[in-house]
Amino acid sequence: MKKNNSVLLSTPYILWMIVFTLIPLGVVGYYALTDPATGEFTWGNLMNLKMYLPVLWQSILYSLVSACICLLLGYPVAYYIAHTGPVAQKLLYMLVMLPMCMSFLLRTLAWVGLLQDTGIINNLLSALGLPRLQMIRTPGAVILGMVYNYLPYMILPLYSTIVKIDGRLIEAAEDLGCNSVQVFSKVILPLSVPGILSGMTMVFVPAVSTFYISQKLGGTDTVLIGDVIERQFKQGNNPNLGAALSLVLMLLVFVCTGIMNRFGGDEEVIV
Amino acid sequence: MKKTNKFLTILMFMFLYLPMAVLIVASFNTGKDITDFEGFTLQQYVRLFQDDTLLGLLGNSLLVSILASFIATVFGTLSAVGINNLRPRMRSLVMSLTNIPMTNPDIVTGVSLSLLFVFLGSNLLGHKESLNFWTLLIAHVTFNLPYVILNVMPKLRQMDSSLTDAAMDLGCTPVQAFFKVILPEIMPGILAGAIMAFTMSLDDFVISYFVTGTGFITLPVEIYSYTKKPIQPKVYAMFTLLFGLIFILMLTMNLLQLRADKRKTENRAKTESKQMKLIKRAVAFACVAALLIGGGCLIFSTRQESITLNVYNWGQYIADGSDESLDIIAAFEERYPHIKVNYSTYDSNEMMYSKLSNGGITVDVVIPSDYMIARMINEGMLLELNFDNIPNYSYIDENFKGTAYDPDNKYSVPYTWGTVGILYNTKHVDEADVTGWELLWNEKYAGKILMFDNSRDAFGIAQFLLGYDINTTDKEQLQLCADKLYEQKPVVQQYVMDQVFNSMENEEAWIAPYYAGDCMVMMENNPDLAFYLPENQGFNLFIDAMCIPTCCHEKEAAELFINFLCDPEISGANMDWVCYSTPISAAKEYLSEDVVNDPVAYPDEEILKNGVSFAFLPEDISRYVEGLFMEVRNK
Repeated sequence: MKKNNSVLLSTPYILWMIVFTLIPLGVVGYYALTDPATGEFTWGNLMNLKMYLPVLWQSILYSLVSACICLLLGYPVAYYIAHTGPVAQKLLYMLVMLPMCMSFLLRTLAWVGLLQDTGIINNLLSALGLPRLQMIRTPGAVILGMVYNYLPYMILPLYSTIVKIDGRLIEAAEDLGCNSVQVFSKVILPLSVPGILSGMTMVFVPAVSTFYISQKLGGTDTVLIGDVIERQFKQGNNPNLGAALSLVLMLLVFVCTGIMNRFGGDEEVIV
Repeated sequence: MKKTNKFLTILMFMFLYLPMAVLIVASFNTGKDITDFEGFTLQQYVRLFQDDTLLGLLGNSLLVSILASFIATVFGTLSAVGINNLRPRMRSLVMSLTNIPMTNPDIVTGVSLSLLFVFLGSNLLGHKESLNFWTLLIAHVTFNLPYVILNVMPKLRQMDSSLTDAAMDLGCTPVQAFFKVILPEIMPGILAGAIMAFTMSLDDFVISYFVTGTGFITLPVEIYSYTKKPIQPKVYAMFTLLFGLIFILMLTMNLLQLRADKRKTENRAKTESKQMKLIKRAVAFACVAALLIGGGCLIFSTRQESITLNVYNWGQYIADGSDESLDIIAAFEERYPHIKVNYSTYDSNEMMYSKLSNGGITVDVVIPSDYMIARMINEGMLLELNFDNIPNYSYIDENFKGTAYDPDNKYSVPYTWGTVGILYNTKHVDEADVTGWELLWNEKYAGKILMFDNSRDAFGIAQFLLGYDINTTDKEQLQLCADKLYEQKPVVQQYVMDQVFNSMENEEAWIAPYYAGDCMVMMENNPDLAFYLPENQGFNLFIDAMCIPTCCHEKEAAELFINFLCDPEISGANMDWVCYSTPISAAKEYLSEDVVNDPVAYPDEEILKNGVSFAFLPEDISRYVEGLFMEVRNK
């Protein structure tokens, strides 16, 4: 009796999610297929997307590179945290979480202060008699910004996967004659694949759609798809093209997460 | 291996915390610039607590995040119980629905919700101001719900369902069973979900940025616009305080949990119930506090009987009380105590136009430039003014009446006028190179040149350089201009509007085209800067005027405000800080001598003859130019 009644509890939620997630996506589709000036049906916005293919590739490239760098940097850290004592584990975990709670706008702005031509690092360099470096407004600066902002999203799922690996498996591998490299490549790494995939997705998705990082740390040629969308809505007076671009971005992300989920089986890792 | 890992971990934490350290150090800096530590002070903290707007924005953020995470937690927990009892196929369907906002990029969620609200607001409800506090709250609840569900669901699934059956067999009603059996069991999941929802909500920028109108703004959205203007150091002080607060909160939570874990292993059965009670009490307390704060704030905000006047103006375009100037808005509110001004800013005419035409907001007074006024009149976006309420209009000089953009003087009251020229740094730029607009294409200064981030001003410069009419409707010429601008792209450091202040003053960039009034402000702050007006090639002469858009709610108050700004004494005090030129000759009496005699602000009549004003462009040409500029920017 109770079971059947409690099912009703989910109805308002389902309605809410349909109204505020599914229907809005439909509205995006509607805008993408209408002309900005006349409001009539058109394929024009979708046709125009061709022009933004290079921008799209650039966004994918930058965010894939930063996801890989996050993995390389984050794995040893997650591994180290997972293998310290329980108190240190809690504290280090907290220290990884903490930056995520602070304004990412201000933190990115601090990087501008560090990297710009008249910034802190360059002032230090010239005080030491070294030549100034062009760091800001390069693709490297944008990737640095992405790695910096999204590194915790990599470390946390990696940590939760690695910490669950049964120590006895490692001992067994060692007993059976594996050296430490083999233990890592044959036991630990395969077992941390779900964490790696989850971390890659969690870095890739926000990185590919960011507009703030590239606006602040990038130059005139490091335009990302998020920039273009933001600009169409806020300056370009063409929400219809912006909507079409949003659709493309959404499809891209769904395809990517689909691929990652496929390889990761149906194990769901929630941070 | 372990040692290298340790070393890497330390390095990584330094990397994560370095920028935050920079911000914290900057909060104790006597100077304004983050890169230059001039001396130690606590003054920024004092200023922070004197700043009602900044604290108010923090209050707004807290209000939205507390309410949204509370609603999402209650709503989400109940829904999770329901979802858990659904048939498996239905359940997986609902879970994939839940995953949509999780996997969708924030920007898509924000865009889709704002389009939905505007679409519903304008097409179904006929309500003008559809982007307000409530839509922001709905958006936050929507992206918070999945966090709660995804944290509660695993706990529910782990639970033995025979427990509930047993409770009901023993005489519990379903409601009692929920509170006595299910709730305690899933409490850790609920708490984790609530905390996650709260932090996500508090720090959310992207979704809020698309969903907020002008009426209710959260702190991150405001910080985004701060990063374009010269940033105020008190923002760093706020960052430092929040950092300390969150650090202490997280630390105590962790320590408490550690202690509880320890006790748990020592004496499991006994402490568990005690601990549970403690958690229960804490949660109940938090909920009540959240409701009280939220409710109190809401009642407080709706109980104010005063009129709210939404003024939407360019950044850095009204005296705000800094540098011993008159705080114009405070003076207005003092004279008319029943009116409260809600002031927000934009970077360019195009940005303002986009925001107004996207809809969903209320704006009572707006100050666009000439060509944009003509466009807005043409599209029926402006209301005719009632000049009986603006007696000070008589002070406006005759040559600013009957202009091309508003020939019958029906829709606008001039605010300022000025020229567009080139600002350059005499320390780094060779005077011999300062010959005209081509300076902005000079490869010698590649990477040190800034350019306008709006289509009309940028195209104007290309048109002067190529010798075209700046009001041309010839698409071929416009395409050639776009090519010219694209050719400039490799030497351009950034396309900017208000950010020009920062970059030019701290010499990150050396050359920028900008409005004369703002150039004067920058020249005051950095004496190495100089202004050049390319009189032979031609330059833009503009008028910015106050108008009332159709999305206005308080027309009479808006007219009072316009009238107030035309008072010669007020206009003089205002222009003394803004540095733009006043269209009210009587106001010059109240301006400092230096400003009135400065040829940058008030050039000779002879020179002014070479200035050209932007005129109305037909709708399709406006869109064509905007599209071309977007291509230049985005290619």
